Amino acid sequence: MSGSKPDILWAPHQVDRFVVCDSELSLYHVESTVNSELKAGSLRLSEDSAATLLSINSETPYMKCVAWYLSYDPECLLAVGQANGRVVLTSLGQDHNSKFRDLIGKEFVPKHARQCNTLAWNPVDNNWLAAGLDKHRADFSVLIWDICSKYTPDIVPMEKVRLSVGETETSLLVTKPLYELGQNDACLSLCWLPRDQKLLLAGMHRNLAIFDLRNTSQKMFVNTKAVQGVTVDPYFHDRVASFYEGQVAIWDLRKFEKPVLTLTEQPKPLTKVAWCPTRTGLLATLTRDSNIIRLYDMQHTPTPIGDETEPTIIERSVQPCDNYIASFAWHPTSQNRMIVVTPNRTMSDFTVFERISLAWSPITSLMWACGRHLYECAEEENDNSLEKDIATKMRLRALSRYGLDTEQVWRNHILAGNEDPQLKSLWYTLHFMKQYTEDMDQKSPGNKGSLVYAGIKSIVKSSLGMVESSRHNWSGLDKQSDIQNLNEERILALQLCGWIKKGTDVDVGPFLNSLVQEGEWERAAAVALFNLDIRRAIQILNEGASSGKGDLNLNVVAMALSGYTDEKNSLWREMCGTLRLQLNNPYLCIMFAFLTSEAGSYDGVLYENKVAVRDRVAFACKFLSDSQLNRYIEKLTNEMKEAGNLEGILLTGLTKDGVDLMESYVDRTGDVQTASYCMLQGSPLDVLKDERVQYWIENYRNLLDAWRFWHKRAEFDIHRSKLDPSSKPLAQVFVSCNFCGKSISYSCSTVPHQGRGFSQYGVSGSPTKSKVTSCPGCRKPLPRCALCLINMGTPVSSCPGGSKSDEKVDLSKDKKLAQFNNWFTWCHNCRHGGHAGHMLSWFRDHAECPVSACTCKCMQLDTTGNLVPAETVQP
Amino acid sequence: MFVARSIAADHKDLIHDVSFDFHGRRMATCSSDQSVKVWDKSESGEWHCTASWKTHSGSVWRVTWAHPEFGQVLASCSFDRTAAVWEEIVGESNDKLRGQSHWVKRTTLVDSRTSVTDVKFAPKHMGLMLATCSADGIVRIYEAPDVMNLSQWSLQHEISCKLSCSCISWNPSSSRAHAPMIAVGSDDSSPNAMAKVQIFEYNENTRKYAKAETLLTVTDPVHDIAFAPNLGRSFHILAIATKDVRIFTLKPVRKELTSSGGPTKFEIHIVAQFDNHNSQVWRVSWNITGTVLASSGDDGCVRLWKGNSSVEELLLYVDTLEFSLRNVNSEIF
Repeated sequence: MSGSKPDILWAPHQVDRFVVCDSELSLYHVESTVNSELKAGSLRLSEDSAATLLSINSETPYMKCVAWYLSYDPECLLAVGQANGRVVLTSLGQDHNSKFRDLIGKEFVPKHARQCNTLAWNPVDNNWLAAGLDKHRADFSVLIWDICSKYTPDIVPMEKVRLSVGETETSLLVTKPLYELGQNDACLSLCWLPRDQKLLLAGMHRNLAIFDLRNTSQKMFVNTKAVQGVTVDPYFHDRVASFYEGQVAIWDLRKFEKPVLTLTEQPKPLTKVAWCPTRTGLLATLTRDSNIIRLYDMQHTPTPIGDETEPTIIERSVQPCDNYIASFAWHPTSQNRMIVVTPNRTMSDFTVFERISLAWSPITSLMWACGRHLYECAEEENDNSLEKDIATKMRLRALSRYGLDTEQVWRNHILAGNEDPQLKSLWYTLHFMKQYTEDMDQKSPGNKGSLVYAGIKSIVKSSLGMVESSRHNWSGLDKQSDIQNLNEERILALQLCGWIKKGTDVDVGPFLNSLVQEGEWERAAAVALFNLDIRRAIQILNEGASSGKGDLNLNVVAMALSGYTDEKNSLWREMCGTLRLQLNNPYLCIMFAFLTSEAGSYDGVLYENKVAVRDRVAFACKFLSDSQLNRYIEKLTNEMKEAGNLEGILLTGLTKDGVDLMESYVDRTGDVQTASYCMLQGSPLDVLKDERVQYWIENYRNLLDAWRFWHKRAEFDIHRSKLDPSSKPLAQVFVSCNFCGKSISYSCSTVPHQGRGFSQYGVSGSPTKSKVTSCPGCRKPLPRCALCLINMGTPVSSCPGGSKSDEKVDLSKDKKLAQFNNWFTWCHNCRHGGHAGHMLSWFRDHAECPVSACTCKCMQLDTTGNLVPAETVQP
Repeated sequence: MFVARSIAADHKDLIHDVSFDFHGRRMATCSSDQSVKVWDKSESGEWHCTASWKTHSGSVWRVTWAHPEFGQVLASCSFDRTAAVWEEIVGESNDKLRGQSHWVKRTTLVDSRTSVTDVKFAPKHMGLMLATCSADGIVRIYEAPDVMNLSQWSLQHEISCKLSCSCISWNPSSSRAHAPMIAVGSDDSSPNAMAKVQIFEYNENTRKYAKAETLLTVTDPVHDIAFAPNLGRSFHILAIATKDVRIFTLKPVRKELTSSGGPTKFEIHIVAQFDNHNSQVWRVSWNITGTVLASSGDDGCVRLWKGNSSVEELLLYVDTLEFSLRNVNSEIF
């Protein structure tokens, strides 16, 4: 310690103070900096604490070891062991006024000078201080001093001398120890045993010894090399740790012959070992030249007897700082907190946390365990500060019947929350596809209907023959532009894009009106412009500016538009060409790009990524020649596939290309719900049979099951089977007659039983069927209900056991269930059963089977069966 | 926002693992007090302990649920060198009335000579199988050929990993395109630069598990490993808890391109590496969609990581939330 390596100690009682000692003693005060700024002059210890230097004491040179006085008063009294074997009491400022002022400066001198290795205050008798010294011939190496040693014979004269001469140095010398132990030996470490205040454990030269002060002639000892740093577990008083080189030995004092345990050896010699004072069985160790503190968590209290009591040790390491650690100290009261000091006296304060294990539940709540405690953490409802995770989104969408609106297909994006532009585009695309497929089928059945779902890419490719372009007049301008003549395929493409409505009419008027209504002024103006109606475009912009909801700048844009001139080198062109790049709205931007472009080159419009794909594609259909269009669509499709952008479904349709696109969408978002519903919207069977599509569907069904949305899952299955009849499960259960072995339901229905449930006998159809109480095959009677003892197949009374007065009320209540009440149910364990309604009402009050002497607990056999579907619990 | 609340766990020692069943209505915890507790969630959302019993003669490291189609089945593993399979039965006494359920031990798996550090049931499409790993570096895969008889488990595979194993994770993908796969992490702390994560894949032809990949860049001790729920993705996501949180993606190279029969080749990318815990990371766990990862570290924090889909970069993860336990922690014990 007199060298470079500092040591560190927490004050035993004033828990916000600690001392760092190397060549001098420095007292620090720790403050929390959670709610305050770092004060000038304080040192940062951790993110939320800092230390301020209170005082420095450099009066005691050659320090070898330091121990803090354990009593409350005086608080800042320390014993310092020196290289010459003297022990000096010193203090750090503050309590010079206290009644213990006499103690300060007191020195305890051994007979022969040698190094003092260790000091230990007695925890009960606070005035006793044990000092461990190096060996000197046959002298004692363990000296126990009483710091208030009144019986020192020369204390009175000394006092006199001090008062008169003021020679404090010599006057406070104490030379007579209370006890002298460990003759002809060296003492390396000491600790008092909490079992009894008179027991002292000492690490001697080659053994561990327990001295009993009641009988100093005797000692208990065990030969070992592990004699350094003896320390008692504060929670288990018979457990002691000591070390030698890189190895820690754990001893049980009741079985002192050999260590109960040695910990895995460290490559470097240990320098400090300390039990955590705030938690059982946690031992911290430090080796030389290391920035790691290794922790050993001993899980069970070891017992000296029994052979299978190998304690579980969880080994951990913490790295409080990047530098090597010179020393560390556990905080006496704060949970698992310690402070470390490095050789250059930087300090850091940290807490060793219990290891936390955690798990997500399927409904996005997180459970974690820390120490012995559990914490549940759930996502708070109605919170918009964070974008919801897809898991939460899918759950909410499943509840809102997302994907199941097959009439107004576009409405699905509203069900999805109306927040995602890609989903909006997707469902509008699917809506138009459905609409025009029906349209086509009506016109020419079996012709081009399937083509619509194949997307614009296929539609455009299928177009035969060249499309001529022709010059069209701008309305309201003396200008002409080349526009492609629209053939059937291009009209269909424009329809899918939503620009024109059903029928042969190619008027964009209705589309513009709907855009204006939704307040999409810029987009409406751009569409108007692309249809060569600059007057309408300006009019829409004015309308937008005056509506109050739109941007007032739209007027300025309208003004700029009206200044349009066809002249190539005009100032207008020049300015628009440069200024358009500063426009924030992509639609305004492409309007000027269009007006300033050279004839036939529309890259400024076509590759403006912020413009919706459908508008760009519609634009391309209007202005690009066949080869250009094909190339452009091809390029855009690949781009969309790469990005997993759902707007691209417009191009790919529900084809293999579409599956590729959806695959990158699922890879990106995990949204199997949209993927499943989209593919089930109208894909041809070979696409639906794609392994990836089947896998998405399977995963989505699994999610619904995990959330206990069984009704939703069933609805999904029904929806699915409409498109993919092969996904219908076969009938799983038949009830066969005891006598002839034929299925009793077989002959009941004329069609083969598709069986969505089980044992659906006598449920539907004509009243004559419900009266059948015997097997339709062999005419033998069916089994009897265990409760009403009537043969199955008989319609049941509405409520068994109910009195007549109740009957009417129950009749209305049970009306919905009346058919189910007729069902034939039985327990798979005891094979007893009866009418479903009777059985259910029996098990409402009973645990055991209604059949006499049958102790089967039919209803409790299946735990999943007792779970309630989550939809019914939802508000 | 997430809000946390405390539940009185009443374990007598450290809790080592928490696990939810398929529906999230039941939970199991295990502890150094050698017991396992089962918790049921009431309709009002409260957790009630419905069973607590001594399972092992040592610290119980992990507990895990089987898929409910196999019944109510738990597996636990312990320092006592065993793993055990438990099943809930309808008791003779009126346990149900007291709100208690009864669990019986169906089997003890005693093949390991050292502490069994992890146990995990295989994805349900593989049948009733479970994997254990132990401190002596062996992964064992057991199968119950008869799902009606949980006392019969046969040791199907023994995979030697050469390094002390700390954690395993099955690839949950049920796609026929993906062979059964298991990732193993090692917490071996000796100062060698050996890779600590190995991935084994089942080979249909040899009927053996063979090493498919080794994550060479992970050389520090690994404490936990977790495949994300696959959810129809074309690649697998693997989270690793070591000195930091790491997320890898494994994209199978299309079978046509590789020679058939051999192990699948993967394109492996590290997509994220976070050192925000600034200490050893202890556990990682994925939410049901594999889009949010929770991690816990020796800094006493639980952190959540969420993929940010609005960014073009695939699976870019951003730190969104963190819970500091500092205040909570000082009150307990």
